[in-house]
Amino acid sequence: MNELEQTGLAAMRDCWITGGPTFDLAPAAWKEIAGTASPDERERRLLAIAAQVLDIGLRPAAPKVLKRRPPLPVLAPPMLPERLRPLLRAALKQAADARRKVRVVTLVASRGFVLHPMDWMPAVSDQNSPDVYAPWIDWQAGVEGQAHAPREKLTEENWDDFYPAARRIALADMRRIEPAAARMLIETKAPGEVAEVRLALIELMRFGLTLEDAPFLKSLSTDRSGKVRELAGRLLARLGEHGRPSDVGTDDPVAELAAFVSEGKSGFIRRRTTYTPAKLKSPAQEQRRAELFETCNLVDLAARFGATEPEIIGAWQFGADNNADILIARMVAASGSDAAVTQMADTLVTDGGKPAMFVVHLTPRLDSRRKRVFIRSILKETNYLGVISLAEGIEAGWLGWDDLTNGQVLPALRSIIGGTDDAMRRGVDDVLETMGFLTTTATAARLIDEVVAAGIPPAAPSLTLLRLNAALTEQSSGTDT
Amino acid sequence: MEFDLKTIEALAPDQASLGAASKLTKRSNWPRLERNEQQALIWGECQGSGSNPYRVVVDTSDHGYKCTCPSRKFPCKHTLALMWIAATAPASFAPAGSTPDWVNDWLGRRRKTTPQAAGPMPGAAAKSIDEALQPDEGAVVEDAAAVERREAAQRKRAQDTRSAVSAALDELDQWIADQLRLGLSGFVDASSERCRRIAARLVDLKATALAGRIDEIPSRLMALRSEERPDAAIRELGKLVLLAKAWRSEPDDPELKRLVATSETREQILANPDARQVESHWEVLGEKIETRRDGLVSHSTWLLDLKSATPQFALLLDYFPASAGRRSNAFAPGDRFNARLVFYPSRAPLRALVAERIGDVASGAAWPDFGELKDPLAARASQQDGAPWLTDSPLILPPGAISLDDRGTAWWQADDDPHGIALPIAGAVDQTLLGIDLGAAAALWNGARLDLLAAQSRFGRLDLS
Repeated sequence: MNELEQTGLAAMRDCWITGGPTFDLAPAAWKEIAGTASPDERERRLLAIAAQVLDIGLRPAAPKVLKRRPPLPVLAPPMLPERLRPLLRAALKQAADARRKVRVVTLVASRGFVLHPMDWMPAVSDQNSPDVYAPWIDWQAGVEGQAHAPREKLTEENWDDFYPAARRIALADMRRIEPAAARMLIETKAPGEVAEVRLALIELMRFGLTLEDAPFLKSLSTDRSGKVRELAGRLLARLGEHGRPSDVGTDDPVAELAAFVSEGKSGFIRRRTTYTPAKLKSPAQEQRRAELFETCNLVDLAARFGATEPEIIGAWQFGADNNADILIARMVAASGSDAAVTQMADTLVTDGGKPAMFVVHLTPRLDSRRKRVFIRSILKETNYLGVISLAEGIEAGWLGWDDLTNGQVLPALRSIIGGTDDAMRRGVDDVLETMGFLTTTATAARLIDEVVAAGIPPAAPSLTLLRLNAALTEQSSGTDT
Repeated sequence: MEFDLKTIEALAPDQASLGAASKLTKRSNWPRLERNEQQALIWGECQGSGSNPYRVVVDTSDHGYKCTCPSRKFPCKHTLALMWIAATAPASFAPAGSTPDWVNDWLGRRRKTTPQAAGPMPGAAAKSIDEALQPDEGAVVEDAAAVERREAAQRKRAQDTRSAVSAALDELDQWIADQLRLGLSGFVDASSERCRRIAARLVDLKATALAGRIDEIPSRLMALRSEERPDAAIRELGKLVLLAKAWRSEPDDPELKRLVATSETREQILANPDARQVESHWEVLGEKIETRRDGLVSHSTWLLDLKSATPQFALLLDYFPASAGRRSNAFAPGDRFNARLVFYPSRAPLRALVAERIGDVASGAAWPDFGELKDPLAARASQQDGAPWLTDSPLILPPGAISLDDRGTAWWQADDDPHGIALPIAGAVDQTLLGIDLGAAAALWNGARLDLLAAQSRFGRLDLS
């Protein structure tokens, strides 16, 4: 198209927008085509020419500024085979929330695969997905630059070469191997970061926490962020350092909390101290007690009674008040020492019964062996199967067929599936979804057969994760038992 | 498989359904029949009257079912036929290790009911498989005079239709002239009302296809930024002028008749010796399902010929009433199959029917190398040379990437593009796509927006439709 035609088209376009004949404005060659027809026909002919010129003659021009994102990093492990993607998408669709979706992703990662980025992407704030996805989290965060995960060790000098998620993973690893070096890095770099990042960095101190970390954590009592101060206080409490909770609107919250616990004695010959939750008179009291349990530290509560952490856990009367049991379990998980956490988990699992289920609140801090013991205890007990879905931080793909046949879990599942209680059946759907995450490949396949024989429809969506698990045999990590 | 003919008899809504189902039990009607015994599922694809086969899945444990056909009978004849085959020829079903996406999709959405005993259902006594198997006695042999009368009536109807369409195009011409006189600014603002009015008039005058196209102009304009709409209006109305002129010069041209009045039936296309036939391997690039203002849902399935040296496409197009509810997709994007397609005769053949599905082809491989695609819009220009009234052109784009402008609109741009061409993309783009270099991309270009269908990348095939 020549310049005259362009000018003519622009004038005709303006004229048509407002309305009116354009014949006089048309380029000469176009006028010739429009010919000597009626005025309306001439306009239509010119319109047809203009339409084709706009469609073919003019090309869309690129805007001056077009921003391209950095390339999405290709992750090291192989991508899930194409044939399994429909099953994976079905499992992701069935997973009701982000936590359950991460469980699907974790199961796949445990078998040595990563997901296709169009099937699932971690959120920027994701801290629970497998470490292998750190480069994608950093990419999501929109970090510009070249390197995503340098191979060299994280140091003060190359700190900025690591993107946040990669740095978080490197620091967590470092805390496990060289806790002091990691602490010094955090100590040097954290003050320059914003509160949110500072909080995430201090949170990493929980790995390999020792008394050597206490001075640094104490120094955080003057941090600008209330959340950082609170977290540092929790970590100090885990080390046995007494703190003082803030922002609970009372002079001595520990004393107030202690008033909700009755100290007593039991036994005729050897008098033993007992700690029993006091009877509450109103929902307001219940709420206040929950607030206090949430904000006070275990070590301070123990000290209030002149006891140690092991003493207060050992003498706590579990079973007297379920809500109080849950609250103290959460308190131990948040601020108890490692020894207190394991003591409480071991005690509850050994005693069995309903209180054993409160270990679920401790799972984020339990070692792998104890987590498995806990899961097995739930399966053996069978009365509280639903708790299995609430446990956090459990590894994928280890639960063997023996674990299911040792107790009464299979008969219990068969009974519920064959029953008519819809609520119970929905509970089984949840349990089967969790089993899909926990079981080995072989166990997943056998469990599908078992529950289908019991009456679960073979195509039930609750079996999707089990089916994915059973199909995920390649790149197996060798955990099948 | 847990079917017997009594169960099917009981499930059938009426005797007519059983009769229709019996005609569909021929193996040749079912390019695909598969089963997964572990999940107690059977499924298949039945070649119905549409260009897409209908997809049917049945849960043999509780007799739950789903078919993609628009029938309002439940179960439909396709479902009954699938059950019938399961009952009488279970060996027809090939064992499948996994279930296709569309089956999974149905499983995820369905609500399970308690399995019911296959006892007699109300009304079951009134239906009979035996009766359905009786030969159809309704067909009466016509005598020669009757044939002549029928053909004369057909010729009369065709002549009436042509006169009506001609009058419709006269009205359209006048309407376009009016819009130009009143100003396109006002037309853009009131396009919904004005287009509806002329579309209704065109329907009255038997220019049904053209009416449907005009009815969609407002939504196509509204999909653009306000400053782009006048140019888009010029393109839309200008193409209508060209189409009307083309029809006037060749009113019997099948392509033009199809675009202005009504389309041929499936049977007419299959029987047409001039219809181009291509047997090849096809990949489902993607699907577009749009609800139109006339109450129909258009379901477009775009296919790529994997054996052609140059990019060749096919479009399977079906319409069904929106009131029939959501339909499952007939094909999953990425599916590959070997099939003989029959194209509707036209200057740039695109719309097609699956005449024969020969089998599946392994998915996952890259597209053929179509050589260096210098100008991404060359195919558009070539298509418009022959048929300037067409709106959408399928394209294979060379390696490129998606970028954002300062208003957040996504653009496709070729790598190291010497032409400075960037094409704006319709709708929102998945943010993940902004970080993926596209090896090649398949898309539809309508002169203003690019509608991405699929792409190749280092992460494998990307489904973008």
